[in-house]
Amino acid sequence: MELVHNLVLGFTVALSLQNLMYCFIGCFLGTVIGVLPGIGPVATIAMLLPITFNLPPVPALIMLAGIYYGASYGGSTTAILVNLPGESSSVVTCIDGYQMGRQGRAGPALAIAAIGSFFAGCIGTLLIGVFGPPLAEIAFKFGAPEYFSMMFLGLISAVVLAHGSLVKAVCMVLMGLLLGIVGTDVNSGVSRYAFGVSALSDGIGFVSVAMGMFGFGEIIANLEENEEMREVNTSNVSHLFPTWADLKMSWGPIMRATVIGTIFGILPGAHTVISSFTSYTYEKKMADDPSRFGHGAIEGVAGPEAANNAAAQTSFIPLLTLGIPTGATMALMIGAMTIQGIAPGPQVMTQRPDLFWGMIASMWVGNFMLVILNLPLIGMWVQFLKIPYRIFYPGIVLFCCIGAYSVNNSPAEVYLAAAFGFFGYFSDKWECEPGPLLLGFVLGPLMEENLRRAMLISRGDPIVFFTRPISLGMLIAAAMLLTVIVLPQLRKKKEEAIYESAD
Amino acid sequence: MALKIRNVQDFRSGLMFMILGAAFGLGALKYSMGSASRMGPGYFPTILGWLTVILGIVIFIEAFKIEKDRPTAPAWRPLLGVLGGVSAFAYLVDTGGLISAVIACVMLSAIGGPDFRLKESLISSAVLSVTVWAIFDLALGLPFRLFPWSY
Repeated sequence: MELVHNLVLGFTVALSLQNLMYCFIGCFLGTVIGVLPGIGPVATIAMLLPITFNLPPVPALIMLAGIYYGASYGGSTTAILVNLPGESSSVVTCIDGYQMGRQGRAGPALAIAAIGSFFAGCIGTLLIGVFGPPLAEIAFKFGAPEYFSMMFLGLISAVVLAHGSLVKAVCMVLMGLLLGIVGTDVNSGVSRYAFGVSALSDGIGFVSVAMGMFGFGEIIANLEENEEMREVNTSNVSHLFPTWADLKMSWGPIMRATVIGTIFGILPGAHTVISSFTSYTYEKKMADDPSRFGHGAIEGVAGPEAANNAAAQTSFIPLLTLGIPTGATMALMIGAMTIQGIAPGPQVMTQRPDLFWGMIASMWVGNFMLVILNLPLIGMWVQFLKIPYRIFYPGIVLFCCIGAYSVNNSPAEVYLAAAFGFFGYFSDKWECEPGPLLLGFVLGPLMEENLRRAMLISRGDPIVFFTRPISLGMLIAAAMLLTVIVLPQLRKKKEEAIYESAD
Repeated sequence: MALKIRNVQDFRSGLMFMILGAAFGLGALKYSMGSASRMGPGYFPTILGWLTVILGIVIFIEAFKIEKDRPTAPAWRPLLGVLGGVSAFAYLVDTGGLISAVIACVMLSAIGGPDFRLKESLISSAVLSVTVWAIFDLALGLPFRLFPWSY
């Protein structure tokens, strides 16, 4: 009954008028920015992060969860209406969603995406409630070696799941780790790589890295493509509700996708991309008539969207209990928590139960808001989609600048963001993904700290990582992941899975 | 056998990682290494920096092996336009006031776009100036300096 008690506590926090309002504002702004074509959820969250800085921790994180859901849902809307995936996980939604739109069924496609996500979100919330506390118990037994090995595992999985070259992804992680330790060293007080610049001796701002590499990088890449806005399916968004037959067809895929998504979400590093892709392939294989897929099959929208959301939800489990981000979005969440003065980890649950359970409950509330608010507002989002890119992107650049400036009220963060925009643009051009860098950046100081502590305990003998069972288990898992991906056969399969969905 | 760069992406990124890794590795010389049991501030960056160099070399060598399409030329106009706009904002926000920073940022980043239209961009910088003023000064009361002659 502890579960009920905890969830009740969470909902009393999340349902207070003030927090409901922040959740709503978050969802709303997240959708507004997320729906703009060519701006993915990571960029959206990075951009909106600064507005939560002046709030107390609980409302700030609730608002952020709202932004997160709004941004993901906005991404699906763009995918269905414009065939322009804002993030790699909505690529799969594009396939059948856009086709449905062309057949005048954009309304039901959007509705089923929201309903599927909501159902998956409900299950995800319950799972966090059930598995969060026992996992946190385990996490309390973790010492420095376990933490180090776990972060190592997290980084390896991020590398394994990155597109393209493994070595390049490792290099990006290393760059991230190195950039993460710029600033004053906590142990010795030595200022590293700051070159006497005061802004650098406090460390490179997380917002500058995320905004530069994701926000500015993406905008420049979009301008480069110079494509005319694609045709927007606005003709028939009027009737929204799926038919009874639609619902009956989607029910199965949504259930199965929820299972797929929850499993992939908990695994460190596993992406929402993989879950939505797996769900799509599975439904296509299971279908009586697979040829309907790619021509507007509603299962092809319902499944992946549910899987994607289930994974998004359960990826909060490692974040909230262990303090380990599983991807770029979760890295952003950690950054936001750190700025609020909360060190993510198992102690959050015991020291700040209101915050922990409030945030979980507000995820559910945010999901629910998306269904009841965004569906009626679809007409408005469609209007947003019609704004030409050239009109809104300077505004986005501007709000990014103001956001970066307001972190410390200093122009240094803005200059840094520009520098990271430059770096991000070229690394992307040379096929090095920014995601692993961001993850490394967040984990850098934590990893160094735990490595130091572990080696201090063991008097400098690295064997400590192999003699402690949990730590050994994680290192074995990391080694297995690496072998699996290096084996040529499986490597090909991974490329297929990722590229097929990315193209 | 003449060496030919077959993969420009690998060539350049390999070079980039070698340089950046070496920069961190050499920079770490200034900090004390300590010992394995008591790591100094130089220990972690030294290992990571030189590891990056080694992997950079691996990527660099790959560039001579497998043929791949050249990347498209850098799009300097959007790159300089957008990042110029951002830097102009950073420069002007404390010196020239928020309004001039807004206008410079919007205009420069608009110039970076493929079809720049002067009249449209002037209107949007005016609209955005008013919006920013309304949100940040009027509604949130943040301590922005609006014009060079303010306070």
